[in-house]
Amino acid sequence: MLELRGLSKHFGGVKAVDELDITVQEGEIFGLIGPNGSGKSTTINLICGVYQETAGTVRFHEELMNGKPPHQRLRAGIARTFQNIRLFPNLTVWQNLWVAQNSPEDLATQGFLSRWFGATRQTRREIATLLELADLEHKSDELASNLAFGEQRRLEFARAAAARPKLLLLDEPAAGMNRQEIHDLSLRIRRIRDSGVTILLVEHVMELVMGVAEQIAVLNFGQKIASGTPGDVQRNKAVQEAYLGTSDSDAPSLDTGD
Amino acid sequence: MDDYVITVLSNIGMISFIALSAYLLLLTGEISFGQQAYFGLSAYAAGAATAMFQMPIWAGILVGACAAGIIAMVVGALTLQLSGLYFSVATLAFAEMARLILLIVEIQVEVDGEMVGPEGANGFHGIRWMFERDISLTEFMLLIYGLLALTVICLLLVERSRLGSVLRMLGSDDLLAEMQGLNTVRYRILAVGAAGVIAGVGGALYAHFTTYVEPQFFNVMLGVHALAYGLIGGLGTAFGPLIGVAIDVGFLEAIRFIQGYRMIVFGGLVAILLIFMPRGILDEERVHRLKAVFSRRNHARA
Repeated sequence: MLELRGLSKHFGGVKAVDELDITVQEGEIFGLIGPNGSGKSTTINLICGVYQETAGTVRFHEELMNGKPPHQRLRAGIARTFQNIRLFPNLTVWQNLWVAQNSPEDLATQGFLSRWFGATRQTRREIATLLELADLEHKSDELASNLAFGEQRRLEFARAAAARPKLLLLDEPAAGMNRQEIHDLSLRIRRIRDSGVTILLVEHVMELVMGVAEQIAVLNFGQKIASGTPGDVQRNKAVQEAYLGTSDSDAPSLDTGD
Repeated sequence: MDDYVITVLSNIGMISFIALSAYLLLLTGEISFGQQAYFGLSAYAAGAATAMFQMPIWAGILVGACAAGIIAMVVGALTLQLSGLYFSVATLAFAEMARLILLIVEIQVEVDGEMVGPEGANGFHGIRWMFERDISLTEFMLLIYGLLALTVICLLLVERSRLGSVLRMLGSDDLLAEMQGLNTVRYRILAVGAAGVIAGVGGALYAHFTTYVEPQFFNVMLGVHALAYGLIGGLGTAFGPLIGVAIDVGFLEAIRFIQGYRMIVFGGLVAILLIFMPRGILDEERVHRLKAVFSRRNHARA
């Protein structure tokens, strides 16, 4: 469903992403891992159109995405969350979800007046459901800036769901979470996939990726150094070197913890 | 009410339009130093419509507002590729250009044996609709406040709507708005055009209130004030910029003994407020809390 071919992004002389080939199949959870600065976030930004690629192609459902602005890619079905939480702090929780309903279905079913100056009963019902799933019903009228960290993360997920995505890009969703929260997160990610959404998970926390992803690609210095199932990747020599190096003890462990 | 009070109140009303215009753009995160251009261009266009072509006043206001809105959208389409400071400088440059053009425009037509029309640096005399129709200052003030009320109601409705939320989205994180499926360029141009129309209504009224306009009045200080009103009064609601105007044109004007120092007092006030209330007196947080108080009271009653 998502095909990256020869995708490259150069910032001056730095090759942040270099000749990347990735294929994500419909309905799978695909993990993209790699050390800091290996080009994972750049890849996400290329897929959703924040950056223009230096070379290569991004295809989504066989359709060429190159040159399309971010809002068209969202309407095609690509939504994302952010490594650093990004909400509209001056809008309420309810409004943050309201303004995220920009899928083609929503645009087609809401008339001009009800879209811009009112909220249809269906709109209200959907937002109520999203709030319930995110466990944020009681915070509906709170400004987003007044939410706690965990609540803001849940609101980001709910917002992504409000766009009715076919492909969801999760950019380091486990950042700053403890073990229990990571466990909850992995359940939530599976539930989203089971509802019919394909997931591209960019993550540092091995415990999450190895536990939840079915296919994994490993980046290092912008290049793909390995791919396959979690087992394949863990046994891969190049991967172990990229992460563990020869004497770098600070590098994250590939141990999944189980 | 004596004529002085009516004049002050009318000025508050007319300046409120340009304050609301700058406020609308501040919501979308754009700082325009050029809203005075739309105020001025519309004053000329509306004046020309009634004085040179004998149109009724409502047609004059419509011509002025539409001209301002269309020019604003064209300028907007050209300058919105620029962001932040570059956009501000571009709006300033355009406004000065418009003012300099008005300084050389001379188009006179003969009306009832007299030459009427813009006379370059001498300004545009004889926009005498009020005298010809025998409209009193009070009546004209009511017209100003009627249109102002209409504008404020429209803005308040927009603020409650999804469109209002979208405008605030552009102001706080336009890349995020774009990634959520919104064509940010389109909404920017819409906001710029609406802001032009609002400034235009004010300008059209101004031309007919003073009966005489000159390019010098539409200099950059008018635009800077327009920005300051929103920043003082607050960006949380359309009432914010009105408070800003009332403080400057009303309160400071009324205190006669600071007359000579008005600009110093005003400048100091802006500086102090920007330090302690960066988004004005009625900022989003306070407006949100006020709304919560009111809705609780309504719930209690029901």
